[in-house]
Amino acid sequence: MHTEHTIETSAERQNRHKAMEAIAVLNSLKEDFKSPIRSMGYFYDLFEKVYCNHQPLHEGKAKIGTMCIQIPSEIIYALDAVPIRLCNGFYTDDEIGGDLLPQKSCPLVKATVGLFASDNFSDKPDITFSPTTCDQKTKAGAIIESLGHSIIDVGFPRTKESEESRHYWRESVKSFAVKLSKFQGKKLTRSNLESAIKKVGYAQSLYHKLTEFRKNKAVPILGVDMFLVTNAFFFDKIDEWISAVEKLVSELEQRASEGINVAGKASPRIVYTGSPPIFPNYKIPLIIEQSDAIIVADETCSSNRMFNDMVAVDEWNLYDMIDSVSDKYLKACTCPIFTQNDDRIRRIIQLVRSYSGDGVIYQAFAGCQVYEMEQRSVLAAMEREGIPILYIESDYSPSQHGQLTTRVEAFIESLKNRKRMKK
Amino acid sequence: MRYFVGIDIGSTAIKISVADENKNLVGHKISASGSMFYKYAQEALAELLKELGIDEREVVYTVATGYGRKLFKEADENISEITANAIGAQQAAKSYGNIKTIINIGGQDSKAISLDAEGNVVNFAMNDRCAAGTGKFLDVVAMNLEIGVDELSAYHFKSVGTPLSISSTCAVFAESEIIGLLGNNHSVEDIVSGVHYSIAKRIVKLVKRVGVKENVYFDGGPALNDGLVNAIENELGHKIFVPEYPQITTSYGAAVLACDAFLSESAS
Repeated sequence: MHTEHTIETSAERQNRHKAMEAIAVLNSLKEDFKSPIRSMGYFYDLFEKVYCNHQPLHEGKAKIGTMCIQIPSEIIYALDAVPIRLCNGFYTDDEIGGDLLPQKSCPLVKATVGLFASDNFSDKPDITFSPTTCDQKTKAGAIIESLGHSIIDVGFPRTKESEESRHYWRESVKSFAVKLSKFQGKKLTRSNLESAIKKVGYAQSLYHKLTEFRKNKAVPILGVDMFLVTNAFFFDKIDEWISAVEKLVSELEQRASEGINVAGKASPRIVYTGSPPIFPNYKIPLIIEQSDAIIVADETCSSNRMFNDMVAVDEWNLYDMIDSVSDKYLKACTCPIFTQNDDRIRRIIQLVRSYSGDGVIYQAFAGCQVYEMEQRSVLAAMEREGIPILYIESDYSPSQHGQLTTRVEAFIESLKNRKRMKK
Repeated sequence: MRYFVGIDIGSTAIKISVADENKNLVGHKISASGSMFYKYAQEALAELLKELGIDEREVVYTVATGYGRKLFKEADENISEITANAIGAQQAAKSYGNIKTIINIGGQDSKAISLDAEGNVVNFAMNDRCAAGTGKFLDVVAMNLEIGVDELSAYHFKSVGTPLSISSTCAVFAESEIIGLLGNNHSVEDIVSGVHYSIAKRIVKLVKRVGVKENVYFDGGPALNDGLVNAIENELGHKIFVPEYPQITTSYGAAVLACDAFLSESAS
């Protein structure tokens, strides 16, 4: 007779599924590429700790869940809490959320709702703020609330040109600050906000240093590694993230001086745009870099858009600072939810020019309507500029890997041919 | 004495069960199908009867089942393996409880069968097209890892890290994935548990197509692998029943049916 086994609880099963997803991607990052970077070890270990071993990072701290990049982390840090961005890349959670949302919903939203539905967090947010960005995120808030979690909407405008929008958003941010300050029982002051702005600003400046190296002819860091570094900012302890990135910057300086290139001689340089790759959904970026191309820049809200623009403060008094913080999250944002979004096109073109991109890969999640809709104008603009672009729709499921690889490879080969013809 | 024979000619093995008039299993034999199904089946049956000391004339009714069932022309009747599996499972799990769901993983196919309260088949699903995630697949995995197929279970329970998923349960593609993992010095234990979970996820998807109702019965050669059993239990979220001889459920079902057929024929 067979022996009696202990059987996993549903939370244990979910954790194992997520660990299996996570380890597969981490192993790929560690093992599939040449010239590994020593200081990436911190990030590989961090993701393994959080997603394979499910260890909490912020015990004893107030954890503030955020549903999009628009919730100002400066204010959260100023009030002595930890922001945890809940945009989720796990297929395991996507499948759970799929039971609660329409079938054609965005996988990121489904995965986020799925995580709340399972209530299985390693760092559970004490309260979550949800900016009313895209329709699906906006509506997901009510579903999450119906599951028994506390979530507060933060009104976000859909146009960014008008003064009314700017005013509306500044008021939203103030009201967010008031609610959080009450929740924390702590006052937002000139000095705590100033030091939080400076700290986040310093983290951004480190990101800028990293991206500078990617302009080099010999690129010292992979795009997938960069995604992992920026992704860590979603949930890591900010001071530890800063010191890990400082080490990474100095290692890249060294590598750049030695001319180390993680790509091949003929590898096309790709600018990546579209729905955000969030760990462990690095499917398309991994296919790109496993197909002898290198991602040199991106225009996504999980990476570049999170770090690119700094808070510009005129006067370091409290209300000016809050307004400046607000403006950064509205004016500089290139999210496709906006009615007019020429900024995004301009930014992609600017990235192609300054990072010597050979082509653009635009990925939209199937069900991510705004990115699906905006592909038309972006494709037309790239055509006008003579920039080759590939548009791909995909989701979090592990299927269709072969078909996606073939499409990406064919595009990369065409870029290689173009380069050769030019010479 | 009167005896009843069920003979299940599968892609990988020939399974023969002999039952008495009370439908109790009196003996069984498992041998390789090889290249000549019919010849090997005849030989195996003769050997089994000899071992059990049963005269050929005491065998009053024979039912053949399985993929090669039509090749065994001496049979009084032949039935599909779905029906035979359902009957065999009900009978084998009699002391355990009512079986509502059967998972069967064979040498080259896998299926899920849903039964009603009376034990009738109400729905079933089979894997499509290829041998992905079946017994053959486990053979290939064990061969690549240079361990015996009977050692897989022990390796599974020794795994302490995260199971390393194999994205393909296709025997051909998985081979290169496994070689890749070994090349990067991952532990055989974590690879084995990853393989088991990959198969388990796949089979649980199949079972969900017919609906999961307790009790769940698991048979076929791979059910001998306790690690795989536990992986399926974890994926399903509850316990499954594995019979004492998981390979012969279908042939036993055929023998039970032979007994029923004989009794109803002689009654009329």
